[in-house]
Amino acid sequence: MKNEYDLVILGRGAAAFSAAIKASEITAGQATIAMIGFGPLGGTCVNVGCVPSKYLIEAAKVAHTQSSPRYPGIEPGLLSINFGELMESLRRTVKEERKERYENVIKSYENIDVYDGKAQFVDRDAIIVKNNSNPKKLKGYNFIIATGSSTKIPKIEGLNETGYITSNTVWDLNSLPRTLTILGGGFIGLEIGQSLERLGTKVTIIKEHNTVAPGIEEEIGKTLMEILTSEGIDFRNGKKILRVYSRNGKKVVEMQSNLGKEEVEADEILVSSGRMPNVADLDLEKAGVKYSENGISVDETMKTSNPLIYAAGDVVDQKYRLETLAASEGSIAASNIYESNEKRINLQLVPWAVFTEPQFASVGLTESQYNATGRKSTTRVVPLELVPKARILKEYHGSFKIVVDSETEKIVGVHALSPYAAEFIIEGVYAIKYGLTFRDLIENSHIFPTVAEGIKLTSQSFTRDLSRMSCCME
Amino acid sequence: MRVFGMTCDDCVRTVSEGLKEGGASEIFVSLKNGTASAVVDDSMIKPDDLSRLPVFSEKSHYRAQVRKVE
Ligand SMILES: Cc1cc2nc3c(=O)[nH]c(=O)nc-3n(C[C@H](O)[C@H](O)[C@H](O)COP(=O)(O)OP(=O)(O)OC[C@H]3O[C@@H](n4cnc5c(N)ncnc54)[C@H](O)[C@@H]3O)c2cc1C
Repeated sequence: MKNEYDLVILGRGAAAFSAAIKASEITAGQATIAMIGFGPLGGTCVNVGCVPSKYLIEAAKVAHTQSSPRYPGIEPGLLSINFGELMESLRRTVKEERKERYENVIKSYENIDVYDGKAQFVDRDAIIVKNNSNPKKLKGYNFIIATGSSTKIPKIEGLNETGYITSNTVWDLNSLPRTLTILGGGFIGLEIGQSLERLGTKVTIIKEHNTVAPGIEEEIGKTLMEILTSEGIDFRNGKKILRVYSRNGKKVVEMQSNLGKEEVEADEILVSSGRMPNVADLDLEKAGVKYSENGISVDETMKTSNPLIYAAGDVVDQKYRLETLAASEGSIAASNIYESNEKRINLQLVPWAVFTEPQFASVGLTESQYNATGRKSTTRVVPLELVPKARILKEYHGSFKIVVDSETEKIVGVHALSPYAAEFIIEGVYAIKYGLTFRDLIENSHIFPTVAEGIKLTSQSFTRDLSRMSCCME
Repeated sequence: MRVFGMTCDDCVRTVSEGLKEGGASEIFVSLKNGTASAVVDDSMIKPDDLSRLPVFSEKSHYRAQVRKVE
């Protein structure tokens, strides 16, 4: 392997792969590229993130439908779950996905050298790669930092001694914990919590705030919490954790609220209290790259404070941490290194989702975020039960919310808590991207009956009383 | 300059022509190293703008980075 490269990429996850492949495509495979990282290829998403979590969610959905059928005349079946076998199949799927999408793909690029180890800057144009063997110095002309993020472990007395699992290790479980305490009400905790609850675990979620999933429209967050509560999840809101300790083989969390001290005892604790960017060990000062504990500062072209160094993905200081965003930013960084027409990222157009059931999906700004920009918004909320397909599905809990600029009527935010929300939020992306108004959305037929029709009905509710409309009117 | 995308002598000619049309002189292009060097009058074109010439645009096969200006 070489000592000097055109492009050195720190990381082997989604952002890194997308950057390396894009750079190879643009330069006809002639840019020499080093990609450095540790752990399985593909990083968080395929190994311990999107793929295993969505697998577990879908499996748990099947179990839930079987134990709680929605239609009269269909009786609950006797549910038999072999959790060990399910988790074995989950790990097999992860392995296959990793092989298919990462290991095999990278083999086909002769210009990319993959290194095992941790990278640390020693100069503005050089890093050192440290692993168990001799450290190796690599020089580069350009760099892309794509080192991702990790679970934030809160400093709580007794937590380390008592032991816990995270979204990195939950996938190694072979037996279902009878009881589980989740620290944190973010999307990762909600997704894993609902799945395990549906498979038979008694789940308690402890959080400081009264809402769930930061960034979600507040009333929608409350509805989601009510739905999850009705399925059996015990939310302990507004709690400050005092300490964690072991008692008779159980893990006890002691917490404080206005009402005094209380405790929750469980077989296992899942720490899911946010993510932090992996910046600490990179010696970024030596590279002249500005950062904070929130991540690396970049401009819209993904350039850092050093014009030859870019950053992409979870390590960037930005409001979303998503696989799609990481891949898109990796690709934008590579394009901007080699091409003269600058590509920019627009976070307003990035859709995101929480894969609970029902799903939450969103793009653009919430009502309060838009009002904070100094412009005035008008909004409409339509409950899911007004959507015919939802009634057919017997899914009554959820809602649609559309935020428009009061003056121009252009759509600036679309938020949905409904079945399939993650599948159709793209309609909101195009609406915002192309400056559509709610009137534009009304003019196009949506397929009847679909849950996505909720977007059209919400648009119609800006000017009409939905209860006085017949089916599918425009 | 580091030049990417050249695979044959024809490419060398195309890149040289492109640089010439952009106002460069004393052009030397190396297929083997994927590099080019040239002299420019910076009252006519800034050295950094050489990588923005049409021969290196999105529609062409070639890309370039200006790595050193003396
Ligand atoms: C449980 C869970 C579920 C998720 N579900 C979804 C989902 O459904 N949809 C979605 O869009 N997103 C989801 N995400 C988020 C998504 O996984 C991340 O946004 C995405 O993986 C980030 O990619 P990345 O390339 O920035 O970082 P990563 O994939 O984390 O890659 C970071 C890389 O950097 C390397 N690295 C770290 N430090 C160093 C160092 N010092 N030197 C060299 N290399 C280093 C690591 O080895 C790794 O290869 C989920 C995340 C989690 C945890």
